[in-house]
Amino acid sequence: MTEETEPFWAAAREGRLLVEHCPACGADSFPPYGACRVCRSRPVEFVEITERGRVYSFTVNHQRWLPGLEVPYAIVLVEFPGHPGVRVAGRLRGCPPQAAAIGLEVEVGFEPGPGGFAVPSFVAVPSAIAGPGSAAVDRTPEAGAGAGA
Amino acid sequence: MTGTEHFERRVVLSGVGQSAVGRRLDRSGFQLTLDAVHAAIEDAGLRVDDIDGLAMFPGGGKANLPGYANGNLYEIQDALRLTTTWRQGQVEGMSLPFYGPAQAVATGQARHVVIWRTVKEGSAARNAGGRPAYGSIHPAAEGPLAWLLPVGALSPVCQVAPYATRYMHEYGVTREQLAWIPVTQRAHAALNPDAVYRDPLTVDDYLASRMISTPICLYDCDVPVDGATAIVVSAAETAPDLRAPVAVEAMAGVVDGRPSWEQWADMGRVGHATAAALWNRTSLRPADVDVAQLYDGFTIEAVWWLEAMGFCGVGEAGAFVEGGKRIALGGDLPLNTWGGQLSGGRLHASFGHTAEAIRQLRGEAGARQVVGAEVAAVTNVGGIEAGAALLTRWRG
Ligand SMILES: [Zn+2]
Repeated sequence: MTEETEPFWAAAREGRLLVEHCPACGADSFPPYGACRVCRSRPVEFVEITERGRVYSFTVNHQRWLPGLEVPYAIVLVEFPGHPGVRVAGRLRGCPPQAAAIGLEVEVGFEPGPGGFAVPSFVAVPSAIAGPGSAAVDRTPEAGAGAGA
Repeated sequence: MTGTEHFERRVVLSGVGQSAVGRRLDRSGFQLTLDAVHAAIEDAGLRVDDIDGLAMFPGGGKANLPGYANGNLYEIQDALRLTTTWRQGQVEGMSLPFYGPAQAVATGQARHVVIWRTVKEGSAARNAGGRPAYGSIHPAAEGPLAWLLPVGALSPVCQVAPYATRYMHEYGVTREQLAWIPVTQRAHAALNPDAVYRDPLTVDDYLASRMISTPICLYDCDVPVDGATAIVVSAAETAPDLRAPVAVEAMAGVVDGRPSWEQWADMGRVGHATAAALWNRTSLRPADVDVAQLYDGFTIEAVWWLEAMGFCGVGEAGAFVEGGKRIALGGDLPLNTWGGQLSGGRLHASFGHTAEAIRQLRGEAGARQVVGAEVAAVTNVGGIEAGAALLTRWRG
């Protein structure tokens, strides 16, 4: 956590996804730098993303990189139609990892991460996927499997 | 173009040296480095006292990656008792190991620069219990990986895999097609006594291997090894003193867009800006390339480069490599003739690729020699940095 990322992690604890918004040019961007990537303005504001996102790409990881880390798990890269320029990585919840797909609709969520942080994750929209493992959307950091370390 | 824009023509690659390369060697990174450095200087036809520049990758200091950083620059300089007029601790700056040294030599800051890269990643993986420990020990909410490690993207495999997913989604390329890259490179490795994996590999073996991070399976990943590679970069006017120099026709290293793994705008394409800049510096064309040493930390990275360099069209790499004939010895574009990092070993930062390009252009590649090789392409991806070069046979 640094000066420019502190508001992001504080909001993450509350299950809220903040990205940077530039008052000068209107662009949104991620991750937080305290500077607009489009017009280079400083400082910038934060805006909360509450809308559903779409999976831009993904991978289902089968390798146990850390002791206690449960595999397989899907890592998704999510973009938001109303916030061009923003892409956020997180694990996929609410469906089996094998249900990950490009274009899959997801809700913003958070889960416990290393060092007591809540880290971004994404919850598959039940209507968007088929098969077992579908779960109701829970946006709180307590939901979902904890990270291994 | 003016002469100053072609500073790389004032430079030759004069020597290449390699230590033993193996999955696990009972020899320190420091000793492996000295082995390679001495071999490279001798190969160039020079004496240690001729060397006045040193560079290594990475620069030293704490690495978050077990086995990644070896051969400390200060200690090597001390061991060789050298006086340097130029040094650099991060030779991958323009994503080619010889980029910075070439600039130094071309501008007269040094005449003969030795660069090296030493890895002990094979031993590190073994010490971690047989799993590659690369990149996974301290997930921390800091720096460029702050947004990847905490969410479980703990390895370069997880970071590169979404590129492969996106590429296959956009272009309809299959794993059966991509398999021909590691399969063909393994056949090349069989002709390289220094390659770590030399047994035949089939498409069926590839499809049956365990998945690491979809769609990247075991055989899409390069092999962690212990080993050191050293290269000597010399001023072109010293050619009469050199045993067998190789010319640098052109090189480029463009970082465009957003240089972080997860924010790269178009995961179906990487390296295109670098390749365009490279072709702008030469009248040679892709069809003139006789042998290609394209970075292959993962299979998909060789795919990027085949397309970015114009060896085939965008989205056509699957068809290009299918069946293996075009990229095999005797084909249109022999690819990674030493086995690449997938079979030859992860020597990293295109050091292994550059070493092989030098051998091929000298006609010193033994059983895997590409007959009449005049032009070699070398590329490298380090993170989202992309570097590319064309090397040619020396004509004096
Ligand atoms: Zn702006």
